[in-house]
Order: sequence, then structure tokens, then C-alpha cells
Amino acid sequence: MSLILEQLLNALALAGLLFLVSAGLSLVFGILRVVNFAHGVFYMLGAYLGFTTVAVTGWFWPSLLIVPPVVGLVGALLEASTLRFIYRRLPIYQLLLTFGLALILEESIRVLYGPTAKGVEPPPLLQGAISLGGLLYPRYRLFLVVLGLVVGAAVWLILTRTRAGLVVRAVAQNAEMADCLGADVARVRTLVFGAACALAGLGGVAAAPMTTAYLGMGIGVIVDAFVVVVIGGLGSIPGSMAGSLIVGAAQTWGAFYLPETAMVIMYAVMGLILIFRPWGLFGEEE
Amino acid sequence: MRRREFLTTATVIGSALAVGGPAVLRRAYAQNPIKIGMPAALSGGNAQYGIQAKRASELFAKDIKGKGILGRPVEFIYEDTAADPATAVRKAQKLVEKDGVKFLTGVVLSSEALAISAKCPEWKVLFMSTINGAGALTAKSYNRYFFRVNTSGPMGARAVSLYLAEGPMKRLFALGSDYAWGRDSVASFSAQMEAAKREIVGKEYPPVGTKDFASYIAKVRQSKAEGVYLVLVGQDATIFLKQAHQFGLTKDVKPIMEILELENMKAVGDAMEGTIGSSRYPFTVDTPKNREFVKRFHDMHGMYPDMFDGETYEGLEWLAQVIQKAGTADDVEKIIEAWEDSTYEGLEGPFLMRKCDHQAVQPGFAVQAVKDPKYPHLIPKILATFPGDKVTPKCRTEEFS
Repeated sequence: MSLILEQLLNALALAGLLFLVSAGLSLVFGILRVVNFAHGVFYMLGAYLGFTTVAVTGWFWPSLLIVPPVVGLVGALLEASTLRFIYRRLPIYQLLLTFGLALILEESIRVLYGPTAKGVEPPPLLQGAISLGGLLYPRYRLFLVVLGLVVGAAVWLILTRTRAGLVVRAVAQNAEMADCLGADVARVRTLVFGAACALAGLGGVAAAPMTTAYLGMGIGVIVDAFVVVVIGGLGSIPGSMAGSLIVGAAQTWGAFYLPETAMVIMYAVMGLILIFRPWGLFGEEE
Repeated sequence: MRRREFLTTATVIGSALAVGGPAVLRRAYAQNPIKIGMPAALSGGNAQYGIQAKRASELFAKDIKGKGILGRPVEFIYEDTAADPATAVRKAQKLVEKDGVKFLTGVVLSSEALAISAKCPEWKVLFMSTINGAGALTAKSYNRYFFRVNTSGPMGARAVSLYLAEGPMKRLFALGSDYAWGRDSVASFSAQMEAAKREIVGKEYPPVGTKDFASYIAKVRQSKAEGVYLVLVGQDATIFLKQAHQFGLTKDVKPIMEILELENMKAVGDAMEGTIGSSRYPFTVDTPKNREFVKRFHDMHGMYPDMFDGETYEGLEWLAQVIQKAGTADDVEKIIEAWEDSTYEGLEGPFLMRKCDHQAVQPGFAVQAVKDPKYPHLIPKILATFPGDKVTPKCRTEEFS
């Protein structure tokens, strides 16, 4: 019984982390129609800035509040200074640009922080393990489960229940029409890009105590995030949630019950989705 | 017409110079620097190892400044391979053909090393490994242009096995990164521990780049092992140790590492205290030569040397000694002959370059991560030192007698 519970929690904790990264990726694609290769690097930037904030202030909690807006600002500035000018070009230009940005950001982080991974301690409240009916489980992972759920609910509410969300959805559906109706499309795009980067930054801060901040963490996570987005459906927040749960479960349970094929399971699910429902579980058929 | 003839002649002479030029020039500048090419991973997730090799070469360059080798200055040329074998071969080829290097070193991954080593007989350049662990490099894939100065993976597994064979642990779990080095070392370790009447209660091979080890941690716990043998690449090892500590696993199961690096100790911190393992070069070795080296290294770089800082420095110093002995830095065949069966006083003790497979015979270490108020991070404390003939495999094999 405790083994099943442990496996369930493991999947949920990983899903929480994956959701924070993939939600932004999905939003950017849904609204800007850009496959943002640099998205993983914003996650990495969040982890490193989280390390710095904890090192300077000695506290973990402030980093959760300070870092995401900073990462978001970096993202928004990059969008406004580069991507904005090439939306009309072929998608390959946008892919190349974001790939280039990813390389530049990653190497800048290496130059600034050096090659050694940076460990971040969880806050005292979340250190150590808690007993759940005979099962010792790390408190920090439980926090990741909660964080994923709370952020997911918040993003979904903003998109579906507020005026800002309405404008964003309008731009996603038909940018030209939204423009005619008086929405400032360029500004919406910049804000959405920034918000997506902030989400990735939050994911990075949250990941650092579990995985440390290290070079290459962005590349590792972006592959998983792409799979999540393909499974869940581009541009859909509930889709990102469902996709994160599926990928989280496939990775943790696969590694436990079928270790030799763990890597394949996730891609097999993606393959099935692409064959039978190419627009993803929650996406809309185009 | 005359103009066209002139142009044609000029073109022909020009091309002739371009093609024949380098050879002519090389003879004219006999006192040119000795060039050493380093196609190392300097960016991406494995950059830490390439940067160690670079740091060691910088100290070496400083140490021999003024006197040089054979009176010639030494010049290092760095190329970033990003730890990709195809890129590594391309960069190595550029170093050989464009820069005219006769020596390659600083290669980070075994997969890169296998790819470059295979090309060296054709290029006629010497490849000195100071990092690469895969046993095959001096066994199945041996060629006479490849020399390994560093301790190999099977040698590391051997040192740990010899240490554990004396200890009380009976039940062991083995966890290796899912590629040549991880699988080889787990096989080597399992065979030796079973020969020492220990039980291997489980083996798993997590993919390189695993960020969540929860499932593997659950498996290790289930197996009721007393120790878990880890053959994980730098970053993966850091993440595993961090998470194992958060799950409270390390209270009951002792981590045993194929390579116990400073990189891990710095990133994991105190949670790693007590971890044991082997070390290719522990900077705490107490020899006069090493004490001097650690001081010079710390003065230059402001940190203590990690495993491949030490191993790369030793390689470069030994190579310089061999070039002196051969009396040439251009005739690779002569240098190979001079190196075979030669000895060298390394930082951690005596080295011998075996003629039969070009593996350097050297001491092996079992170490433990301990706290010491004199240092800003955990340090490797030496638990046992094994002489070279006990930890080096039989010639051109990965087996031990």
C-alpha cells in the first residue's frame, strides 16, 4: 500500500514541476505561434537566480516571489527586442532565433556561475521527510505537488475568468480580428511571452532544491515539456496539466516497473496521440 | 593576352604555395612552439571536465614558461566539442590538419575518445587520455597512438572492490549510467564483489540526464541493500545524492562511488559526508610533489584541484619528459617508443607506461568524503592505497588476475 502511495506521489511531484515548464511553452505556442526553444533556458535561469537569491538573503521563500518576475522581465525584453520583428517570417526563422537565444543565455550563465552545479537547500519547514502512514516521504516533494496544482488553477482562472484572459484568448483565436477590435496585439504578445518565462522561472526556482541548478538542465527539461505539450494539446492549460501527469507517471512508474523501457513509454504515448488525435487531448482540431 | 597569362601564372604559383607552403614553413620555423591540441567539452552539461583539463594546462604552461620543452615554447590550442563525438572528431581533425598539432589531449567523454582514437593511426598523431574511463580504449580498441595516463573505469571499480572485500557490507546494489562506462563498471564491480562472496541484490541503469531518481531510490530501499554502488556521470551523481538524502535513504544505505569528485562534494554539500568511493586523483595525497602542486594550483585558480586537474597535469608533465627523452617533438614514432615502458614520478606516486597496452600503471585509492574545518567544502580522505600492479587489469583486457 505504502509503495503504491509512494509511486503516486513521485509521479505527482514530477508532474508539478513539468507543468510549470510546459504551461508557458504551450501558451507561447498557442498565442504567438512560436516554438520557443529557449523556454528551457528560462527555467535554468530561474534555478540559478533562485540560488543567488537564497545565497544573498539566506531565505528560500523570497526567491519564489522575486525570481519569476525577473525572469519574466528578461523574457519580455528579449521578445520585444528580437522576436517581435520576425513574426511574419517563416517559422524556421523563429526556431533559429530562439535556439540562438538559448545558446547565448546558457553560455552566459556558465560564464557567470562557473561549471559546478549549485545546490539549494529547501526552507527549514520543508526539509527532511514526513511520515504518511508508515511511508517516509520528503516534505519538499509534497510542496511541489501543491505548487503545481495552485499555479495551474490560477493560470486557468486568469485565462477563463478575467478580462485580460479574454483578450489573450481572442488574440490566440484570431490576431488580426483582435487587432481590429482594438486589442494591442504586440503588447499582448510581449506580456504573454514574459508571463510564460516567469512560469518557467518559477519552475526553475522550485526545481533547484530537488535537482540543484546545473548547466544543461534547460535542454533536459525542454524535451519533456515538448512531449507534454504534444500530448495535452497546444495552447491548452488543462492539456498541459493532463500531459504533465501522463509524462510524470510514465517516467516514474516506467523507471520502477519496466526500467529497460522507461524512456520509450513516454514517446510511445506521444506517438499514439499523434496517430489518433494529432491535436492533443485538450487541443482544438484545426 | 599578356594580362591573362600573368593571371594564370600567378594563380598556379599561388596555389602551389598554398599547398606546399605549410611544409616549407614548418622547416623554416624549427624553433616554433610545440603545439598541443585540446578538443575538450568546454560548453554544455559536461563542461566541468573540459574546464578542469584547461585549468591544468594553464598551470602547466605557467610552470614551464621560460624553459619550454627542448628549448621550444609550448602552445595550447583549445577547441570546444560540446561533448559530441562527431564534433570532437571534426575539431580534432582541424587541430591536426590546420594547426599542425602532433599531440591531442583533454578529450572528455569516452565516446568522444573512442571516435578520435580510431582516427589517430591515419593522422599519425599521439592521443594522450587524461580523463577517459572506458576500459575498451586500452583493450579491444587499442592502437599504438593512444596512451592513457589516467586511472581507467575498471581500475576505479577494482580499487573500491578491494576495499569493500575487506569490509563488513554483504548486500550491495549497483546503479550505473546507461552507456558504456556505467555498464562496464557495474559489470566489473559485480564480478569482483561476487568473487569476494558478496551479494549483488540489484542492478539498474538510469539514462544519462535523469532528473528524478525517486523510482530508483525506492528500488534500492526495497532491496534492503547495505550499500549502493554508483557509476553516474557528474551531474547525475549530484542529483541522486541530493534526492537520496531527502528521501532519508542514505541513513540506511551507504553510497559508494566509482569516482568521488570535488564537483559532487561542492554541489551536494554536507549531505554527502561519509560517502565512500574511489578517486582517480585525490588532492589530499600526502607526497611532497603533490603538496607543492596543490599550492601552485590554488594560487593560480583559487580552488583545490579536482580529479582531472591532477590527472591532466601529470599527463602533460610526463609528455614533456618523454619529448625531452626522445629529443624530438615532431617525430611521433620516436616519441611513442620513448614513452613505452618508461617511468614517471607522478603527484600520487610512481607511474609506469605499459608497452603492451599503453595503460599507465599507478596507485589506486579508496577515499571518503569528510568534513575538515581547513577547507571550504568536503574533502576526500584516503582510506586505503593500493599499489599499481593490484589495480591495473591484465594487458589489453578489462580483467584482473
